[in-house]
Amino acid sequence: MKYFFGLVSIILCYELWGAPAVLAQTAAAGPLLINISSSKTLSGTAGDYVTVLAGITNSSAGPVSNITTYLSLADESTKLPVDLEDWSAEKGLFIGNIDARQTLPLNWKIHFVTPGDYALIVVAEAAGQELPQTSAITHFHVNSKRNLNPGQVLPVALGMPIVILFAMTLLTYRRNSKLV
Amino acid sequence: MYKLIWLKELKGELYTWKSTAWLLAASLLFSFTSYLLLTNKELTLLDQTELLWLLGKVIVGVGLLVVTIDASSIISSEFEQETAESLFLTPLALKDFLLGKLLAPLTLWILIYLISVPYIIVASAGSRLALPFMGHVFLLGTLCVLGFILMTFAIALLYRSSKNTLTTAFVILLAAAVPALFAATLKSGSVLTTVSKINPLDNVFSALDNVLVDYQISLGQNWQFYPPLIIFGLVMLGLLSAAARRFRQQGIIRNE
Repeated sequence: MKYFFGLVSIILCYELWGAPAVLAQTAAAGPLLINISSSKTLSGTAGDYVTVLAGITNSSAGPVSNITTYLSLADESTKLPVDLEDWSAEKGLFIGNIDARQTLPLNWKIHFVTPGDYALIVVAEAAGQELPQTSAITHFHVNSKRNLNPGQVLPVALGMPIVILFAMTLLTYRRNSKLV
Repeated sequence: MYKLIWLKELKGELYTWKSTAWLLAASLLFSFTSYLLLTNKELTLLDQTELLWLLGKVIVGVGLLVVTIDASSIISSEFEQETAESLFLTPLALKDFLLGKLLAPLTLWILIYLISVPYIIVASAGSRLALPFMGHVFLLGTLCVLGFILMTFAIALLYRSSKNTLTTAFVILLAAAVPALFAATLKSGSVLTTVSKINPLDNVFSALDNVLVDYQISLGQNWQFYPPLIIFGLVMLGLLSAAARRFRQQGIIRNE
């Protein structure tokens, strides 16, 4: 019985502390809106570059300051976030201020590195805003780049050691014949 | 005079078939690596650019290993075999001696590079990266190898022992190689970021990454990777001249 009351009190505490937090989150939606103007799905081959075009709008009546926008890329097959190191030279863009009802263009040059399916989101956060604003998802479909040529590598892989071995034998033979 | 020293060393290093066996071993290593990279089921899942990057690392790595081993013994052996005394009785300047000795391991690097060229061409077929790959591997590899030869010579003049020189040079080479092999995400700390900026091997691998993976192929797009390698070479040259000055003061037979 003692354990039952203990469990009930834990659940009550969780409900009492958890509920206002959820309410606070939904109440703090920001004034920024991000619209993706490029295609919803971008495809290409590994090594290609694509440009993601977006616009960030301040929908409020006053200016919004200290806005940072950045990219978030996730691999859809592994369900893991992707390190943007080789994908984009500009991982984040700092925007000082956006006046009321003003829209600023954003564009990111993305380099397709590894084949697969990816989901890209543009995230914006501003000073004093509790929640970030996210864009709609842009899907990337990256095809693998296959220029592999096992037919050509075999002659080189076998040929080079043979050529070197032949050169070594020839040099040794010439040297020995000179000695005699 | 340095030409005589250079040719004498090359003859010693490439005269018998046993002494050239390492060329065959290097070629077999490149064959094995490129064949696996291009035909192995799992390794071929790598994008071609990453595959080339891996091959570039192997070429520079093999070059550095061979050159470090050669440079470790090329000077110290003169002291160990007691030939240094008779050598310096001739009108041979220390500068010529060091320059002739320096050209020998540098020639070995050129030989390794020449062996690697067919593999580079085959592996980069269809990517239009063959020429930038060859050019950058040559430039970056030569600068890095030159710095390591100068460093090893400085150690050799200070130690005058092949075993100690080889151990020290190898430890330094490994110390430079280990952080260079870390993934970029592991280098986010300020200490590791600073180390990677001054580490010559890190600069070589990052430049190859920039050229092969990011398609930044011109010299201008890779300018940030070359100054650290040049500075490394100059610092090692300074270290060698300090070691040479100490050698002149001490004489061939060290009084300890």
